[in-house]
Amino acid sequence: MKATRRDLFKFAAGGATGLLLTPAPWRLVTDAALWSENWPGIPKPVRGELRTRFTHCALCPAGCAVKARCVGDQPISLIGLPGKPLCAFGLMGHQLPYHAGRVRQADADAVRAVIAKRAANETVAVLDLRPGRTASWTYRRAMAALPRGVYLAARSSVPAVNLDAVKIILSLGVPVLDGWGTPSNVQQARSHFRLIQAEPAESRTALLADQWLKIRPGTELELVEALATGRGGAGTGLNEKVIASVANELVQAGALFLAAEESPSVLELNRKLGAVGKTIVAQREAPVPRSWKPAPVTPINSVPERSIGVLLIDESAADSYVPWSKLEGKLAPDALVVTFASSQAGYGRQAKHLLPTAVYPESTGDIPPAIDSPLATFRLTTPLVAPPRGVVNPAQFIGGLAAIDAADALRERAGAIHAAGRGSVCTYADGRSIPVEDIQPDQFWKALNDGACWIDEPGGKLLPPVLRASTPAVVALNWEKRAARGPMPPLVSKLYQESNLRVRI
Amino acid sequence: MSARSYGMSIDIDKCTGCGACMVACAVENNVPPAPEGVNERKGITWIRVFRLDNGAEGVDRKWAFLPMLCQQCGENTPCVSVCPQQAVQLDPATGIVGQMPERCLGCRYCMAACPYHARYFNWWDPSWPAGMEKTLNPAVAPRMRGVVEKCNFCHGRWHAAKARAAAQGRRDLDPADYVPACVEACPTSAIRFGDLNDLENAPERGSFRLLEKLGTGPKIYYQTQRDWVREIAAAPGGTERAHG
Repeated sequence: MKATRRDLFKFAAGGATGLLLTPAPWRLVTDAALWSENWPGIPKPVRGELRTRFTHCALCPAGCAVKARCVGDQPISLIGLPGKPLCAFGLMGHQLPYHAGRVRQADADAVRAVIAKRAANETVAVLDLRPGRTASWTYRRAMAALPRGVYLAARSSVPAVNLDAVKIILSLGVPVLDGWGTPSNVQQARSHFRLIQAEPAESRTALLADQWLKIRPGTELELVEALATGRGGAGTGLNEKVIASVANELVQAGALFLAAEESPSVLELNRKLGAVGKTIVAQREAPVPRSWKPAPVTPINSVPERSIGVLLIDESAADSYVPWSKLEGKLAPDALVVTFASSQAGYGRQAKHLLPTAVYPESTGDIPPAIDSPLATFRLTTPLVAPPRGVVNPAQFIGGLAAIDAADALRERAGAIHAAGRGSVCTYADGRSIPVEDIQPDQFWKALNDGACWIDEPGGKLLPPVLRASTPAVVALNWEKRAARGPMPPLVSKLYQESNLRVRI
Repeated sequence: MSARSYGMSIDIDKCTGCGACMVACAVENNVPPAPEGVNERKGITWIRVFRLDNGAEGVDRKWAFLPMLCQQCGENTPCVSVCPQQAVQLDPATGIVGQMPERCLGCRYCMAACPYHARYFNWWDPSWPAGMEKTLNPAVAPRMRGVVEKCNFCHGRWHAAKARAAAQGRRDLDPADYVPACVEACPTSAIRFGDLNDLENAPERGSFRLLEKLGTGPKIYYQTQRDWVREIAAAPGGTERAHG
């Protein structure tokens, strides 16, 4: 038999057709698909032993309890406790250390030397954007020890809101349902208070409020005056009847007026409504060691113009901020501004030096009581991952300027709380609540580091807060406003970019 | 183990649109953040919360939030019937519609067939900022470019619950062991999850399903006391108008 050229083509075509009927090409397709799923461009999750750890979220003063699922020492997801959920921002917190915009290196020793030189004969001021922490006490001690030290708090008076007593809230742009208080507390209290939101923008709180007063931008104080006096209010764009009806509602017991910015008229309206001492009460602080001698809290308005030679800003934990225009006038012409932050997004743009800090969940510290907690609390945020080399601890840095060793400040304060013998410690791992007097100091400290929370004992009269409406336009931050001040976890894109659930206002 | 029919019950009136479910889902299932410039058309959100409004203006405007995810169709499942690769399968043991990225060739027939637009195509290789790959969930493999993905009721958690039950010598899963991430994260308990065959998880009276008339047997039940929400949710044009 003679093979022709035609036979060769027939064999090739038949072979190719026959090959399609064998598993070989399909296996090849499957293997190629499997390979492409694991090719070097696709990240491979790290495997290891799964563990659960507890801490507190330090992203806002709510300080929610966090249950972290970890592979080895690496957190892979954060979740709240049953009945105490985390917000969307809190769920992404473990991704923050890896933000591309993070500042990681600076020459802290050189900055320390410059500050120490100037601190001898110039006014040194510390601006604390989250007062009430143990670090805040370190700043106050350091400023008391320096010859011309001044301690400035973004909010000179931080009252607590007793949500149990609130029956109606008139909020002037405060994100009551979107990051203002502890999510679980607000959620539980929501059924028994009526929310009236006065705001020009269609914020989420405005959408979810019982009544939305769509006022014209910049007419907030006019509305307050109209509600207080029963006159005017035409400039707000609201109908007179609507203003009168809201004013009538507010005279009920349990009414509370919340404003995004402190002002004398807001304070006066709350006094008139009888909210002070009932729904707005004094914020209670956990005990501190008697040996700590702090500098007083100086209202920013009372600082003389052009008097601050060195301004140190702790931006590592910021709940509110003072607009730069309000600070600038207080600085001497050649003032040195140093900010402690994790990115350039905030005061870093104005500061001469930016010293990088650890971010949650790398940082160690405590969280002051939430705005909706009339009881004193003491909660630690313990690091879930190690901070990178080169970051600075602001409390230790500023304490060091006045030869104060702040490394053990948290433990000293825990000792003072234990010595007071009040309250109980709640452990999240087993859900128990143990009176402090029943445990030893070391056990108490260990429990706090394992994610427990100390809560003062209830009882005693709720005292009216000492309110000063003297701080210039301090802006409270909810987690959306933080986006403009610092890095946000990349998965925020799901809420803003990849869906239209949230819209930037 | 007896056959299950896992499903969800979502109370629209309780949803505050916080987005915790969307974030928890992305964290659990290793869904990467979108590259710059990606919008809601090309983004990947296995569960997406839509904003609905009643169409009124000013202070009369009312809002609602509707979480939308794969409806886990149990009858005539459209995506299963069109897939040329058998990359989509309805698991008779759980009632979950599973997607196998290894088999998917990226034809996107399933996306066209899905009446709920609850399937997403990977237009790019998944990528995270440097170092963030350490935070990925080891129970879920990241999907490659060119394949379709969707909600699978956190199938990784189902496997983990099954392994836990086996280790304890049980044949049936403890319902508390298997809870999808969105259910766990919802701060208002608007999303409930369970085996629809169990009486305690049976849909409540008055609950409805989206596009029920198509006969695909979706296993996501919605509840609301507000008539206008029910009307919009029942009419696809209304939902489309609301989210643009």
